[in-house]
Amino acid sequence: MLTEAVETGYDFRALVRQHQATVFSIALHFLRDRATAEEVAQEVFFSLHRNLHQIETPAHAAAWLRKVAVQRSIDEGRRRSRRPQVALADAPEPAASIRPGDPLLSELLRKLVATLPEAPRMVMVLRYQEDLEPAEIAAALEMPVATVKSHLQRSLALLREKLARRGIGESGWTG
Amino acid sequence: MDWLEDELRRALAREDPPDGFAERVLARRERGTSSARRWLAAAAMVVVAAGAAGAWRQHQGNQAKQEVMLALRLASAPMDRIQSEIRGITQ
Repeated sequence: MLTEAVETGYDFRALVRQHQATVFSIALHFLRDRATAEEVAQEVFFSLHRNLHQIETPAHAAAWLRKVAVQRSIDEGRRRSRRPQVALADAPEPAASIRPGDPLLSELLRKLVATLPEAPRMVMVLRYQEDLEPAEIAAALEMPVATVKSHLQRSLALLREKLARRGIGESGWTG
Repeated sequence: MDWLEDELRRALAREDPPDGFAERVLARRERGTSSARRWLAAAAMVVVAAGAAGAWRQHQGNQAKQEVMLALRLASAPMDRIQSEIRGITQ
């Protein structure tokens, strides 16, 4: 382990601990399956270990891990043909007194995001999980910034509409 | 900040992987490393064996060549004697 850190300048164990939540959550929010998300996250870190010599800075390590997590999650999603895993009809009906910050609303939103097509779904995950700017998302997904912005606007409008139909929204908070 | 974006940040907040995740990654790395070492050792043995077989074949070839040359030399000695005798008679 020490030799590895000396050779590459990075402590692999520390990198895993530092970035495990990011990598695991990208896979989890995209695939909505904890076991598969852990499998994907392990593969991402295994791949990092094989390519540790390419890592130049801590920021490079973070960006590298995010990009590979995105690619592996998309590949896994395609392999399993899981989209849409959760049909909108399966999403739970909100409780009568649903309010902002309600865990039920969070769960409903996760399910609604899961029904989005592959590209806008990953854009939403990177925007709201990782708090990335559209330009950073565009770089991670190798797509034009304008496409990222368009996915964000359309997805937000779609979610707003679906929530409004359930009586959830600024003008229709129930309870 | 838009209420929906706030709710999305809450819903899609980072989560830690199940307990022991880092240990499982490190264990998998160890397995991968030792597996790679086994493959490398096996590949090295194959290369050495192939090299030794090649050297043995070359050695056998050289030996056979030397035997043929010796046989030719042995066979050519009486022929030379006969030729010189014929030359003596004709002169």
